[in-house]
Amino acid sequence: MQSVVVTVTSGKGGVGKTTCSANIGCALALLQKKVVVIDGDIGLRNLDIVMGLENRIVYDSVDYIEGRCRLRQALIRDKRAPDLYVMPTAQTRDKTAVSAEQMVAMCDELRKDYEYIIIDSPAGIEQGFHTCLAPADRVLIVTNPEVSSVRDADRVIGLVEAQEKGPAQILINRLMAARVKKQEMLSMDDIVDVLSTELIGAVPEDEAILMSTNRGTPVALNGRGPAATAFHEIALRLTGEEVPLRVQQPVSIFHRLFGKA
Amino acid sequence: MNALKQLFKGHDSPANTAKQRLRVVLIHDRTEIPAGMLELIKDDVISVISRRVPIDRANVTVHVDNAGNENRLLVDIPLLAGDNRRGASRTSIPRQRSS
Ligand SMILES: Nc1ncnc2c1ncn2[C@@H]1O[C@H](COP(=O)(O)OP(=O)(O)OP(=O)(O)O)[C@@H](O)[C@H]1O
Ligand SMILES: [Mg+2]
Repeated sequence: MQSVVVTVTSGKGGVGKTTCSANIGCALALLQKKVVVIDGDIGLRNLDIVMGLENRIVYDSVDYIEGRCRLRQALIRDKRAPDLYVMPTAQTRDKTAVSAEQMVAMCDELRKDYEYIIIDSPAGIEQGFHTCLAPADRVLIVTNPEVSSVRDADRVIGLVEAQEKGPAQILINRLMAARVKKQEMLSMDDIVDVLSTELIGAVPEDEAILMSTNRGTPVALNGRGPAATAFHEIALRLTGEEVPLRVQQPVSIFHRLFGKA
Repeated sequence: MNALKQLFKGHDSPANTAKQRLRVVLIHDRTEIPAGMLELIKDDVISVISRRVPIDRANVTVHVDNAGNENRLLVDIPLLAGDNRRGASRTSIPRQRSS
């Protein structure tokens, strides 16, 4: 099976890696792709709760790697999409529990059955990042439109290029069109320009993300708001379709109440 | 720094300030030459060059320029016009080839 490992990472923490991994995974699965999303943030697992699957964990990736279960047993099937699986990680271990080689071997097993393997990497440039980078065919570097996260993104892009993992692409998250227009916030073009790296898409700041995370239902599963649309477009681009880059505008109250599209 | 400020005068929206600051910090991050190091290099350059020719010490600039994949250290050293030299202070006199 033609299979792609996509590692979602960032330099700075809290920029939206888990949110993006979950939503891109859902969006790809809704495109009828066979998808598994791996929580690569050992010891600080969050993908399960963001996706609303926290009550279904029996085994995790560390159990599989250490031989306590079979691969299938460590995967949670998400029934809200045709072929979507989540592999949780251990909450009570640290980043040394899985080596880069073990991650590569696990992904090679998964490649047999899945078209897209999305890895939600921890932030930073330590071992956990290198473990998640090792199996990557593509790397998405999440950044917010703000100086410190862009600077840290540049550092990560450098490391990804040095390891010849790539192509690295930037994913701008929490963009606010109105503030960009007022020239209060870095624009898509500004960020692409200073990082001289290709963009996979820009996800707007969207209050629907908070609501959906509270419920454990990623916006891409059934939301129609600006962030959901952006995630669907990013998923399409990952499949090779050409979707023009644009900034999703926030939806007005009127549309929210009465709009269908 | 002053030259930089001047260059972007009139474009000082918060977004532009952020962008220009990022440009500069990324050049230093990528070349692993911290901005403070440039001041030291500048002092070195001044002391070496001024042993040979009179220079305008106050206006020496040193910065790293980045074009594509190439980084270069750009040093700009204004010369001081000496008594017998035709310099910037006497611009009304056309430049002539010496000797
Ligand atoms: N587009 C968005 N609009 C509004 N809120 C967002 C958006 N993206 C992420 N958030 C919020 O930002 C916070 C951090 O997101 P998330 O946990 O996905 O980041 P992370 O990069 O995975 O963090 P960590 O580095 O800790 O793993 C969360 O509260 C999330 O709901
Ligand atoms: Mg996370």
